[in-house]
Parts: sequence; C-alpha cells; structure tokens
Amino acid sequence: MTNSAEQVAALPMKPKTRPGGWARRALKRRATIVIFGVLAAVACVTLLPFYWMFSSSLRTMDNMFAIPIQWIPHPLNWMSYANAWQAQDFARYFFNSAVVAVAITLGNLLLCSLAGYSLTKFHYRGRGLLFLLILSTMMLPLEITMVPLFLIIKQLDWANSYQGLIVPFLVDGFGVFLMRQYMLSIPKDLIDSARIDGASELRIFWMIIMPLCKPALVALAVFTFREAWDMYIWPLIIITKDSQRTLPLGISLFMSSYGTSWDQLMAIAVLGTLPMILLFFFLQRAFIQGIAATGLKE
Amino acid sequence: MSSKAYLVSPTRRRRRRFGLASKQAAFGYAIILPTLAILAVFRFYPMVEAFYLSLTQYDLVHPPKFIGLANFIDLLHDPLFLKSARVSIAYVVFSVVPVIPLSLGLAVLFNRNLLFKNILRSAVFMPVVMPAVVMAVVWTFMYQQDGVVNTLLDMLGIAPIPWLRSSASALWAVILIGIWRATPYYMVIFLAGLQAIPADYYDAAKIDGANAWETFWHITLPLLKPTMLLVVVMNVIVALKVFAVPMIMTGGGPADSTRVLPLFIYQTAFEFFDMGRAAAMSVFLFVGVMLFSFIQVRIFSRGEELR
Repeated sequence: MTNSAEQVAALPMKPKTRPGGWARRALKRRATIVIFGVLAAVACVTLLPFYWMFSSSLRTMDNMFAIPIQWIPHPLNWMSYANAWQAQDFARYFFNSAVVAVAITLGNLLLCSLAGYSLTKFHYRGRGLLFLLILSTMMLPLEITMVPLFLIIKQLDWANSYQGLIVPFLVDGFGVFLMRQYMLSIPKDLIDSARIDGASELRIFWMIIMPLCKPALVALAVFTFREAWDMYIWPLIIITKDSQRTLPLGISLFMSSYGTSWDQLMAIAVLGTLPMILLFFFLQRAFIQGIAATGLKE
Repeated sequence: MSSKAYLVSPTRRRRRRFGLASKQAAFGYAIILPTLAILAVFRFYPMVEAFYLSLTQYDLVHPPKFIGLANFIDLLHDPLFLKSARVSIAYVVFSVVPVIPLSLGLAVLFNRNLLFKNILRSAVFMPVVMPAVVMAVVWTFMYQQDGVVNTLLDMLGIAPIPWLRSSASALWAVILIGIWRATPYYMVIFLAGLQAIPADYYDAAKIDGANAWETFWHITLPLLKPTMLLVVVMNVIVALKVFAVPMIMTGGGPADSTRVLPLFIYQTAFEFFDMGRAAAMSVFLFVGVMLFSFIQVRIFSRGEELR
C-alpha cells in the first residue's frame, strides 16, 4: 500500500533520471511481497504448536485426533482445565516455581550488579583475572557439574528445599558480564562527585548506579526469570517430595502418569506457558534485549 | 573537573595502607565477594570434584574408592557410552548446522522495512517463550502417530512418520524441535549484530553499484563474523547440554537412539547410582565442550589471518 503511494508521489519528482526505475521498483515490490510471504510461512510454523496446544486443551478427547483436522474445537471442553488442576497439586507447584524464580532473579539483580560495579569502577589487584574466572563459568554447563553439585547439596542437607533450588543460581557469569558491559558506560566523574558530597560507597551504588542501570536490570531480570522458570534437570535431581516440586517437574510427572489425557496435558501446558507469554507481552523490549545481550562481545 | 579536585589532596594518602584508594579497593573486593563465594562453592569446586570423582567408584552408600582411570577405560569400551557420544555429536551437528543459516537468514529478512514487521517478528520469536518442558509435552502430542504433524504431512501427500516410535526418526524429531526453538533465539542475536553495522558501509556499497547479494557477501558477512563465532559456540554448548526434551519425549529410546550424553549421565548417576562413572562421563562432556569451542575459535581466527 505505502509502496504504491510512494511511487505515485515520487513520479513527478524524478521522471527520467534513472532508466528502468519502474522495473526496478516493481521488482523491489515483488521482493517485499515474497519476503513477507516467507516470513508469514515461518510464523505459521512457530505459532502452530501454540495454537495446537491451546485449541487441543479445549477439545474433547473424542475429537482429539479427528480427521479431517478440527481447527476450531467443537464442542468446547472447558473441564479439561479444572480436571488437570485438581489431578495434582498444581497450585503448589506454581507457587514453588514462582518463589524459586523470583528469588533467583532478585539475587542475580543484586549480586551481578555489585560484581559488575566492582569490576568496572574499582581498581585492585587481580581484577582482570577475576573477570575472566567469572566469564569462564559460562562454559561450564550444569550438566557437567551436576553430580558433585548434588553431593554438595546433599551434604548441606538442602535436598528437597528452596535453598537447594535457589542458592547455587543466585549469581551467573552471564549476568555479571551483562552488568559490567553496561556499567562501563557510566562516567566515573559521577561517582567521584558523589564521594565528594560525602555519600557512602553503598549509598552511591544504591542511589546512583542502580537507577542508572535500569534498562540493563530489566533485561537481566526477564532473562533470569525465564531461565529459572525453565529449570528442569536440577529440580529433577534434588527434589523428591511432592510439596517441593516445581512446575516443570509437576508437568513431566503429569505426563508420565496421565500420558494420554491430552486435553488435560495441554491445559496444564497452557497454564505453564502463560506467565512467560505475559512477561513477553508486557516486557517485550527487555525480553529481546536480554537475549540480544548474550551476543555482546568485548 | 570534580575528579581532578578530588585527586589533588589525597594523592599522598593513596599510597598509605589505609588510604582512601585502598579503602575503595577494599569496598570493591567486598562487593564482588558474594559472587566469588557462590561461584567457588557451586561451580568451580564441583568442577574439580568431578575430576576427582571420575577416578573413583562411588555408589553413595560406601565411601568413594580410588580406582585410577578405570572408569575412563571402561567407558571407552562401553558400546552404550560410545553410542550416547555419537548421538550427542549427531545432535550437535544436525541441530547447529541448519540453525546458523536459518537464524541469519531470518535476521537479514527482518532487518528492513516490512509490512507488519513487529507482529511478524514477535510471532517468529514465540518458540523462545515456551518453557522447555511444555515444549516437550506439546510436541510429543503433535508427533503422535495420528497427531497433527502427520495429518498435515498427509495433506501434502507425505506418508505418516512414526516420529518418536522408531529409532530411525526419533533423533530427527528431537533435533527438529531443537531447531524450532533455537532459530528465533539466535535470530535475535544476529539482528542485534546486523543493526550494529554502520549504515555508511551499505551506502558506500550502493554507490559502488553492489547488488544485494554482493553487499551481503562482502560487507554483512565479514562484519558479522564475531557474532557468528559467538552464536556457533553458544549454540554448540546449548546443544551439548540438551536434556529436558529427550528425557521427557523418549527417555533416551527407542533403542538408545536419543540418549544424549547429559541424559546418560543423569541415568548413570541418579538411576544406577554410579557416581564415579557419571563423573567420568561429565569429564568427557567437558572435554567435548572445550574441544568444540577451541576448534571453532581456531577456524574463525584462521579466516581472520587470511583476510
């Protein structure tokens, strides 16, 4: 639409400066349409599982594998949500997941900022080495260290506890990296003048540095929350008590015990995705910035 | 100005033991300490401990017994382990290789003005939003014999595939989901990389009469190289540690065809309680991560020298 309008508007401006301008523009417009088509097709592939999850949560079991495909479920089966919710203690799992994800997120916001602040605005021996050490943890996936880590948690008697799920993840190499990169841009003068005004170091950090880092903090928060909400292998290892299960554990357990009640499974899947979808829609920029930041380089 | 004013008088004191500067340094140390403590206890120590455990036999009941390299020698002769290593390598190769051109291609297509660009971009990004466990459950449902994937294939005239039921297709089913989820993630990173390329370069190319393909090949791609390296390394690590999807969808089967290394480590440690052996596998996984990363850095830096 806009393209043709632009074309018409541009016509009298440059009548014969570029021979073949029309053809080129037509080609360009066709390219735009093709690209739009390609992206729309890709979007269908990325959205299909979401739609299928949601629509199947409302489908009756009789229609679950109906042929021809029933794109809009009929009759609607709202009971699947109530049934699934009552089949296991999902309220508890949601609560546990929320506690763990919020605690991990808050811990990362504080500790990663403190570490980033230390690495950018203070001079001491071994600073560069410390930074490298922290960075190197990004190459150490949990899957490599989980066996000894489990033994440590067992020794601390933290199995089946919130501490066991939270404390090992209170800080993360990527988070420190993100905060450090952001804080590099904060001028040192700002800190020095606050010092002259007699502000204590902690006060400077809390009242000046943290507010300045708000965009980075929001991005880090969303990123960390998503990862924590997603966590599966670690709770699987250290949680055996039902009352301590997180949502992913509850869902996978539900899958193994109610494997063919697809309507209920999809209902729980919808509920488990909902917090992430809400987070994405309200904090879309931060959500994407956090991920884009994993591509930052020095 | 203010920093200069501050420097004038206390310069002398800086050298003193408890001068202003060292006081600040102490604060600097103090605020990074919690981070270091947590990483030391929950990351570095377990890494060292993993090496030690790999040299022992340990079943959680009896104290660890030192057995030297026996675990490693054993593993190298264990067909199940070798199979698992092969599955992991296949997963890494076949999930990383398509993701790079796909995510870069999408990023390039999105890096221009387009009708409904924001809506499309959000739509394409959605797989990143879905939790891994939910993804495993939903795709298991879609991969059923008479599920939606086969129904759609049928519309295209393709015979139904026994996705998760057959050892010939299960790994591909798992890889496809990995691609589905990873592509938009790395698309975002590539987009950030593309947007960091100054427009001047493109303007210059336009003046020189370069077409879109030449511009991409001679300007975009070389400038995107650092991003590319990062994406490949991250992607390989993420692929090497895939766990939730095979665990939930197949449990490693059928016929061990989807038992990636992390899954095998988990089963060895927490189903068979063979901690030493599991730790030895972890060491192999660690070596794998290092080796892959090292090779990639080498490949990319060699290209740098050539240019």
